[in-house]
Parts: sequence; C-alpha cells; structure tokens
Amino acid sequence: MDSQKVESKQPFNLTHQAGEATRMLRSITDDFSDNPAAMNYFYDLYEKVYCEGMQLHEDKKIIGTMCVQVPDELIYAAGAVPVRLCNGFYTDDHNGADFMPAKSCSLVKATLGMLEAKSTLPFIDRIDDIVLPATCDQKRKSGAMITEMGYSVYDMEVPPVKESEEARIYWQRSVRKFAASLKTITGNKLNKTTLKIAMAQVAQAQKAYRKLYELRKVSPSVILGKDVFMVTNAYFFDKIENWTEAVNKLTKELEKRVEENFSAAQRRAPRLLFTGSPAIFPNLKLPMLIEESGGVIVGDETCSSNRMLYDMVSADEWHLDAMVDGIADNYLKPCTCPIFTKNDDRKRKLLQMAKEFSAEGVVYQAFSGCQVYSMEQASITKALNDEGIPVLFVESDYSPDDMGQLSTRIEAFIESLKAKRRRRKRK
Amino acid sequence: MIKKIREQINNGDLRRFRFWLQIFFFLLFVYGGYLSINLGQNIPTFACGFNSEGQGATCYLIPLQHQLARSPSSLFSMAGIAVLIGFSYFVLWFLVLNKGWCGYACPLGTIQDWITSLRSKMGIHYAKYSWEQFRHLKKIKYILLVLMIFIPMGIGAGFFSHDMTTPFCMICPGRTIIPMFTGDFSQLTIDFSSKTKMVMTTLGMLITGIFLAGAFFKKRFFCFFCPMSALHFMLSKLAFLKLKKDGSKCTKCGDCYTVCDMQIKEIADDVESKNILQDDCIMCFKCVSSCPEEGALKVEFLGQPVFEATVKGYIKRMEKENKNG
Repeated sequence: MDSQKVESKQPFNLTHQAGEATRMLRSITDDFSDNPAAMNYFYDLYEKVYCEGMQLHEDKKIIGTMCVQVPDELIYAAGAVPVRLCNGFYTDDHNGADFMPAKSCSLVKATLGMLEAKSTLPFIDRIDDIVLPATCDQKRKSGAMITEMGYSVYDMEVPPVKESEEARIYWQRSVRKFAASLKTITGNKLNKTTLKIAMAQVAQAQKAYRKLYELRKVSPSVILGKDVFMVTNAYFFDKIENWTEAVNKLTKELEKRVEENFSAAQRRAPRLLFTGSPAIFPNLKLPMLIEESGGVIVGDETCSSNRMLYDMVSADEWHLDAMVDGIADNYLKPCTCPIFTKNDDRKRKLLQMAKEFSAEGVVYQAFSGCQVYSMEQASITKALNDEGIPVLFVESDYSPDDMGQLSTRIEAFIESLKAKRRRRKRK
Repeated sequence: MIKKIREQINNGDLRRFRFWLQIFFFLLFVYGGYLSINLGQNIPTFACGFNSEGQGATCYLIPLQHQLARSPSSLFSMAGIAVLIGFSYFVLWFLVLNKGWCGYACPLGTIQDWITSLRSKMGIHYAKYSWEQFRHLKKIKYILLVLMIFIPMGIGAGFFSHDMTTPFCMICPGRTIIPMFTGDFSQLTIDFSSKTKMVMTTLGMLITGIFLAGAFFKKRFFCFFCPMSALHFMLSKLAFLKLKKDGSKCTKCGDCYTVCDMQIKEIADDVESKNILQDDCIMCFKCVSSCPEEGALKVEFLGQPVFEATVKGYIKRMEKENKNG
C-alpha cells in the first residue's frame, strides 16, 4: 500500500505507465516513415494524456464505460462525457494480476489494475460513474470488484442472445432504464432536443470514420493500420468534436494521397484484416509486428475500432422514446461480440469485409483467458478458409515476452500470403 | 450520364418525393372524376367507387365482389370469362407498381400517413404491436380476403341475402371516409332498410371510428388488415417493381426496421432472402432510404436498379432529418 502511495505522488511523466506509453509512441512514430501529417494531432494527444497527464473534459461529468454496448449518445445527451475504460497497459495488467485470477484476460486485468491504482488516465479520479454492461463473465464479475474499490457502478443488463424478439425487448428496456438513470448520475434529464444534438454529434464522428473506412479500401494502402488503431482508440477519451475534426483533416490528407497514388506500405504488402480481441494503446504489439513484417492492416473487426464506430443510428420520428429504442437496436443487433450465442453475424461481416477491402488474409487475436473469442475461432477460421482466405490465429496477452515467437509466426504468415499470390499469378 | 442520374436519385429525399407523389395519386383517384379522368374499374388500390362524383378510377374489389355474386351457373360459364378479364386488368395494373400501390397510390393509405404526421407534429409517440400481437393480427387480412370471395359467391348461390352485397365495402373505412373529401357524407349513415344492411352499415361506422383512432396511434393501422394487401402479396412475385436485399452486406443494424411503418422484422433480420418483400410491406421504401450499407437494399424495376441504399445518400438524408425533425 505504501509503495503505491509513493507511486501516486510521483510526477505523472515518471510513472511506469507514462514510460510504457512513451516507448510505444516513439515506436509508432519513429519506426515508420511517411506518417500522415494529420496523425500528429493523435500522436500529440496520446503524448499529452498518457505521458504528461493532461486533463480533458474539465467542465463535464465523466462516465466510464466498460464495453462497446453503452450508447454514447445517451451520455452526451445528459451533458456528460463517456470515456471507455478498456485499457491496454501492460503495467496495469501487472497491477491487476495481484488481485485477479491468473487466467483472466489481459484487458480485464489491465482495466481493473488501472482502476485499483487510479493510474494511467489522468482524469481517472474524476469519473462519476462506471457503466458496466453485463457482457462476458469476466467483465460482469468485475462490477463487484470495482464497487469495492470505491467506484459507483451501474450494471447494464445485456441479453446473451440477440436474435430473439425477447432479447430485443429486454435490451430496449435495459437501455431505457439506463437513459432514465442518467438523471441521477448527471443531474440532467434526457430530452428530445439534447438527444437529437447528441445523435447528430455522434453521427458526425461516424461520418468522418466512414470516410476513413472507405479510404482504406484503396489499393495501394494510403494509411497503415497502426495509425487507424490510434485514431479509433482516441475516440475512447477524446473530445468528440476535436476527434471528428482531426479525422476529417486526416481523410482530406489521405484523399490527396490517393490522387498521388501514394503507398503507405510496400506496394505489394499483403492486405490483412485484423479481428478478435481489441488492440488498445499501448498494446499495439500485434498490429505493429504485422506492419513491421511487411503486411498492411486494411480493415479491422474489433470493439475498439470498427465495431464501435461503424453502425449508424437512424430515427423515424424524433420523439424521445422512439430515438432511445432506435439507439438500443443499433447497439445490440449489429454487435459481433462473441459473448452472443451465434457466430453467423461475425462470419458474414468478416467475409464481406474481406471482399470489400480485397483482403488476402486475416489475423485473429484472442487474449489468453478470453474464452469466447477462442471458442469462436475454429468456426470463423473455417468460414474464411472456405472462401480461400487464410487465417492466422494468435493467442497473446499484454506481456512483451512472446514478441520473438510472434514475429516469427507473423513473418511466416505474410511470406505464405506472398507465395500464394505468386502461385496465383503463375496460373 | 446514367450513373449521375442514379447518384442523384440515390441521394434524393425519398420522404419528400413520396409526400408529393401520394398527393398526386390522391388527387387523381379522389378528384380525377371532375376532370373526366377514368382509369377504369380494375385498379388495385382503394380508389373508392362510393366517391361517385370525384372518383378517377374504381377499386377492383367492387367489381370483383359484384361479379362473384352472380349465380353459380352464370359464374361458371360465360360470365366467368368477364371475371377473368377483369382480374387480368387488375393484374396488369398491379404488376407495374407491385405493393407500391399501397405505399404511394392508395388514398386510404395516404390519409393514414396524414393522420400520422398530425400525431407526430403534436408530439405524441406512436404505438407498436408486440411481436405476438403482430403475428396474430397479420392473419386477419387473409381471413377477410377469403370472406370477401366466399360471401359474394354465397349470395349468388342463395345462401346469403342480397343485402350483403359488396360485404367488404360495407365494412371498409374507405367507403365512409373517401367520399367525404368530395363533400359526400351520405355514407356516414346506418341503413335501417333491412336487418342485414343495418348490421353491415353499423359495423362500417364502428370500423370507421376504429380506423380513425387506430391510425392516430399506430402507423398504417388499417394496412395490417387489408384484404387488398393479401391479394397483392399472392401476385407480388410476378410484379415488375421489386424490393431486393443483399444479406451479405447487411450488418443487421436495424435502421430499416426502426423506420418501418409496418414493423417488418425480416427487413433487418433476414439475411438469406433476395426478394425481401413481406406480405405486410407497403413498398414505401423508407427502409431503403434509411439503410447505410451500400447496395444492401435496392428497388428494382424489371431487374434494373432504380433506387438503392448508399452511404452518401443515407448521411445526406439523416443530416437533413436531424435538422428538421
């Protein structure tokens, strides 16, 4: 306990976490040439937040969210700011390991480790409430632990099946209840006008994201996957208007790159999709290894990125209840999280993305301890293989120990994709 | 050039387009008679014939019920040919627009949409059926269709009184409401001339009341029960206008379902069917206009795409609606 107190008194930039963030940032910026100039906004943001401890959202209440299913629109409409707490720091993973079961996944350990040590996020002690959707077992059971740490936790019920009408109604009720409870949390009651503004705000962000998404379909690639992960990951905590503006700047620059036929990776770099457990800063180990080994990540199907931003909400009539129900549907039905019973939606999504992005292979990350992603793996791999798309399944965690082993596997995978392409050409 | 026109259409404001087209058809069917317009009596939508002065065409259900009420001996001889000819005209009209007749041309449908926008402007939230209710209610239109065919045939065979003639019209809210638009309130009466007529017209008045109240709270309230809709659906596979879905592009985000007046779940959940038209669909194409997936939903005419979902069009419409809504 004493050592922790000493640590928390440390200047922010001297913590282990700041060191870890700095190392990864340097690697992201310096290991690659020709980073888009518009990426500097994001590099700076990470630098300021994670290395220097810059505060954000000073005038607003902050609501921590623990999964992608929490509707941001509702939180914005209540005048607060959602901050996704899913954490990627190995230092926090280590902290979490002190009190979490050994076989927990790194993400959950790191998130709880961060909450316990009140580390990493400079505004962590300003979190007013944590919304925890009852998704996977580990997240669900974290609620009690987080409460015991002294945080106020709102358990948001999520159905384990999403196809049935019962599930839809159950989830709609759960979302309505959450919408109503935001009044107690923030002091502001949702109303039609604020929700409409919030929906427009999120829609603008999604519109910017969609443009980025489209630009990644271009071959040769105009942006590397590691940068896109940095962009989408910043949506976790950044001010939404700033984020949207920065993404719009980035896409403008990328459009220019398309005109100039610029290539961000090697021209013949195999195009890959990334799926599975989310890559969250600074655990960009796997994406970095892929792109350092000569591949390029052109699309992703993860809850830290595409799944969080892709699907947009529409409304038929602008009444509060109708909007809330529409939002609810949008956060459940297209969600490809493996906690749900069926694998079909995720299969279909990946097959479609592989087609749209002319992907030649898929890298599937599952954190050790993430039962559901591991269980889905065989079925997803088979569906993709049947369409001639090879899959590399990687079980990993936040520790740097497996870097050597991983890089060998990834290089081999990328070589095999290149060889496959050569064989096809010869035919 | 064609590509540009397509893009223009895909970026277009479907709501506005539909609003004006509905007014056009409403004027045509309800007031066309004053301009001596007569599109015949085999029209596959509620161009009500009881609106005797203004009607620009006649709903096919009137001649159908009349024709079926002939005596069996004539019905199954030469007169049967007349029935078939009438039906063929009906089919020909129908093939052009498919169930688009409901979403764009039906005057009774348009009236319901007007009531809906009135409710929405008053800030009142619409009602929805639960899935269970929906499953049962949607059967009613088939029951009405069967009754609409067999009761007239029963009249012809002498089982029912001739006072039962055009039984569906007697309970159709179109009969009571549409003539009012040309100042004819005579249908709003209970006919005491016979027991049967009294029962049927009372039922008609009752249903008119239910229609007005129902349409206020439930979007397209009557269309769930419409036997014309059931008749349409049986022929819809042959029609030129089609609603197509490419399930591989669908993320099941549910935006189409959110805007669907008819609560058709399949539009969002069914990723197998190519021809996604369901029996309750009114082909308003709001689903297509609110689909953010490039080409996932598509309107086709004779195999040619006329309107399809695009990201650009979706965002354009959504921004506009968020501003105005």
